Parts: sequence; structure tokens; C-alpha cells
Amino acid sequence: MRSTAVLATRELTKAYGDFLALRQFSLEVRQGKVFGLLGPNGSGKTTTLRLLLGLLHPTSGQATIFGLDCWRQSLQVRRLVSYLPGELRMYDSMSGLALLRFLSDLREGDGLDRAVALAEQVMQLNLRKKVRAYSTGMKQKLALALAFSDPVDVLILDEPTSALDPSARGDVLRLVREARSLGQTVIFSGHVLSEVEAVSDRVAILRRGRLMHIEDMHARRSLRMLLIKFAGKGPAEFPAELELTVRERSDQTLLLEHRGQIGPLLHWLDTMPILDLAIGTEDLHSLYDRFHGPDAIDEETVMSS
Amino acid sequence: MKPFFALLRKHVHDTRGTLILSAAALFGLGWLFVFVTSLNETEILKVLSSETEDNRFRWLRNMGLEEQPPSVSIMMSFWSHPLIISIIAIWAIARGSIAVGAEVERGTLDLILSRPVSRTSYLLTHVLMAIFGLFFLALALAVGARIGAHYNFLRVPIEFWTLAKPALNLAALGLPIYGYTLLVSAVDYVRWRATMIGSVLTLAGFIAWVVSVIPVLQKYTWRVYLERVSIFKLYNPVDDVSTGESLLFNLAVLAGIGAGCILLSFLAFIRRDLPANG
Repeated sequence: MRSTAVLATRELTKAYGDFLALRQFSLEVRQGKVFGLLGPNGSGKTTTLRLLLGLLHPTSGQATIFGLDCWRQSLQVRRLVSYLPGELRMYDSMSGLALLRFLSDLREGDGLDRAVALAEQVMQLNLRKKVRAYSTGMKQKLALALAFSDPVDVLILDEPTSALDPSARGDVLRLVREARSLGQTVIFSGHVLSEVEAVSDRVAILRRGRLMHIEDMHARRSLRMLLIKFAGKGPAEFPAELELTVRERSDQTLLLEHRGQIGPLLHWLDTMPILDLAIGTEDLHSLYDRFHGPDAIDEETVMSS
Repeated sequence: MKPFFALLRKHVHDTRGTLILSAAALFGLGWLFVFVTSLNETEILKVLSSETEDNRFRWLRNMGLEEQPPSVSIMMSFWSHPLIISIIAIWAIARGSIAVGAEVERGTLDLILSRPVSRTSYLLTHVLMAIFGLFFLALALAVGARIGAHYNFLRVPIEFWTLAKPALNLAALGLPIYGYTLLVSAVDYVRWRATMIGSVLTLAGFIAWVVSVIPVLQKYTWRVYLERVSIFKLYNPVDDVSTGESLLFNLAVLAGIGAGCILLSFLAFIRRDLPANG
């Protein structure tokens, strides 16, 4: 059974004068899923997240969470959402515990006990210390402890692992999976592709404020890349049931994507005049490079195709 | 209501040091000005008791007076001292500029407004704290003066309720200063600009008022305009304790300007974008 769409944007656009920070951004995120947002700095990830929280007013289009308009019903939306800002700033004069208590009180005091337990036991923080004595990573852990303890349906995490050491990064990914297993929906923005790849159900790639591609990570995990050298020129067409897509073609060599069943593919390969064959997988980096690498696809071409 | 009180509690926690120090300064000034008034009166009494009735009248006329003024009027002339006005103005400008601009600048507004807190509640807690501070500071001055009056000789004893009127006028003087500073802060991304604009407007108003009361400039017509544009004309502690005729009007205008600016601040703040810091 398909879960319902918790979060939806329709033609969401944010402009600052002539500059378009986000252009006609449309997507849906279903309940209990982890949705990754990828893109370099300035691609519109943070703008999207701030529009979802009602911190920014959309120039046009609409964003909704559980059907509530993110700008007009921002307060109700924020009751259902917990947010970890990308550039984290805190009240340094407070102790860790006082800050957790204060921020928890802003949500009627819910989740404080869990936040304290998470901060002390998982994040190994001394909550009696002043926040000013914390390192950047420790502050991030404190904010994460709070975000994961909030009794909400949606978690919006803007670069949640940016200041963390490797073991803490692992903890965060574990907490994201745990949140998903509890039915929470997670929006996970980041630059570390392997992390986004590890936890996301779907990933959106943004470039200059435009949604370039949405990838289903479950389908991607079953993706095979085939590099085949044919004796003679490769076939111009393939049987449809094989679900093969040509990525690159030269005289004798073809780079193919395969997302279908392995049996029919092997049978078809057996019938073809093949000189050499390599089968592998493709990580998210290769996909990301298609939009942001040195040979990136021109966005106008993609949009018109 | 828990988020609302959590925010109020935080504001009290953040400002208690400044507020207590400022209140202590005003309390001390209140007491000091009673002490100075007491010394003045003693000197005047000494002079007057040694003179004949005619000489006494002539001496008072030379001082620009018809009769010896009540103690409280002498004392109130000190309540327009720049030190007193500065403390009130600094509080108003500091609280106005920190409400939005400073929080956006340091990035801490995200922490609060990503929680289920409405922008109206957030700003309201700031406004309440600032107004409470203004009245608390004015009260500290009045209490200092009243306690000072208990320990110093004054020809005419002073009641606390007599001091309440100029104290109220002083607190009201802070409202427009807070209001226009808050308005700048509510639409800005940095604190310094709200502080600067608030300070410049306040200083300009004060200078306009000082220039407008210089005796040799009374014949110039533009002096009237200077007087009209300054909110400091509406703070008149001597009049408040003597006739008190203009007190209600002054309070209404000061509160009106303050309330108008605060209302505009709310309208601007609930509609504005809050971009990421840095």
C-alpha cells in the first residue's frame, strides 16, 4: 500500500528581485520516507527548507505539509515539524540543559526527557557546561538531540552531519533510519553523497534553484551498468522487456543501464556477438556528476526534454 | 501559553543585569537630586532669612521667580538631566534593536521561529519586556527620590504619588524611542543599523529641544518648528508636579507615537522574509 503524501510543493518559486533562488519546484514526499536534497551551495536547498517552515514567503506556488499551507498556516505546520538549521547558532550564555529546556518549552515541554537522554547517553554531552564551551560539533549534537526528540511527524535536517566526527555521523544516520521506522518523514539535505545515498528513499538534485532530477534510491540500488564491446557495431535497439537504456555509445562499445530482471538479460547477452563485457553498479556520485560535474548536462536541455 | 512564558522568562534572564544596574543608577540619581535640592534650599533659606522683606522679594525676582518654589519643583528641574534621559533612551534603543535585527544577525531567530511560536507572540514578549523595563526604570528613579526625601531636609515634604506623574512621563518618553528603533529592527538583518538610526533620531530630537529652549533664540520663527518635531518637549517633569495641565496630552502623544511604531513593527515583522544567517 502506498503511503500518503505528507509534504507537497507545487511550482514553488522564490525570487529576490531578479534573482531566482528557487524556480517552479514541484515534488511530493510520502509519509515515513527519507527524502534527500542534493546540490551545491546556492542550488536552493536551504531556500526550499525555509519555505517549508514559513520563514520565507513564496513568490509564487505553494508548499503544504499535511495539507497545511506552509506560509499561511506556518504555526500549525511548525507544530508538526522539527528543524535543524544548516548554520547553527545558539544562545552561548545558556548551559546545554537550559537551552534544551528553553527550546523544549517552546514546544510545550514535550520531548525534553528524551532530548536529555539522547544528548547525554548517545551524543556524550555534558549538559551542565555552558554552550559557549561547546565545540561546533558538540553544538550540532545538542541540536540533533533536540530535533530527534521532538514529538513531530516531519524532520527537516539541513546538513545535519556537517560538523560531526565519523562516529557521530554514523549515529545520525542510525537516528534517521530509526525515525523512518517510527513513521516519521525526514527531509535530509547534505553534501556528503554517501550519507544521503545510505539513508534516502528518494533523492532530488537541484541546480541553480531548479529541480533537475528525482531518483528513486531503491530502483537505483538494483541498477546495473553494462559496458559491452560488440564484434561489429552494437545493436540500434533492444528488446523492451530487458529495460535497457543507452548511456553512451561509440562504434563497437555501449554503456548501458539495466534496471530489470537479471535472467532475461543474461539470456540476451548469450545470444549477442560480444567481445568483452563488464558489469558493475553506479554510486550516487556518478548521477550527481551528470548535473554538477565537469561534463554536466545543460539544465535547459534537460528541462525541454 | 508555555512558549510565551518561556520567551518572557528568557528575556528577563537576558536583561536582568542591565536592568538592575540601570535601575540602581536611576535610584542613586533620584536620591542625589534630592540631596542637591536639599542643599540648595538650605542655602536659599539662609540667604532669605538674613534679608528684609523687600530684599527677599528683590532677590527672588533676580532669580527669575515670583516666590520661593516648592521643593519638588526644584528637584524636578534635575529630572531633565541628560544622564536620566540617556539611561531611558539606551534601554529603549537596546531593547528595540535586539528584538529582530540582532537575532537575525546572530542566527538565533531560527532556533525560536522553527518551533511552534508565532511571530506575533515572539515580538509581543519583546515589547512587554521593553515596556516593563521602561516603567521599572522610571519607578526606580521615583523610589530613589522618595527614599532620599526621607533622609534629607526639604522645605516642602514630597509624597510618592507626586513623583509618580513625572515618572510616568519619563517612562512614556521611552515609548517612541523604543517604537522607532523596533520598527527599523523589525525590517532589518543587522543590529547596528537599528541602533544607529534609533540613536540618531533620539539625539536629533534632543538637540532640537535644547536649541528650541535657548533664550536668545526665542525671537526666531524656526525655533517653533524645532520644538514641535522633538518628542522631548513632551517630557516636562516640572510642569507635571506643578500644574500638570499638559501631562495627559503629553502621555497620550508619546504613547500614541510609540504604539503606532510598535504596530507597524508587528505588521512588518509578520510579513517579512527571514533568510538564513551568514
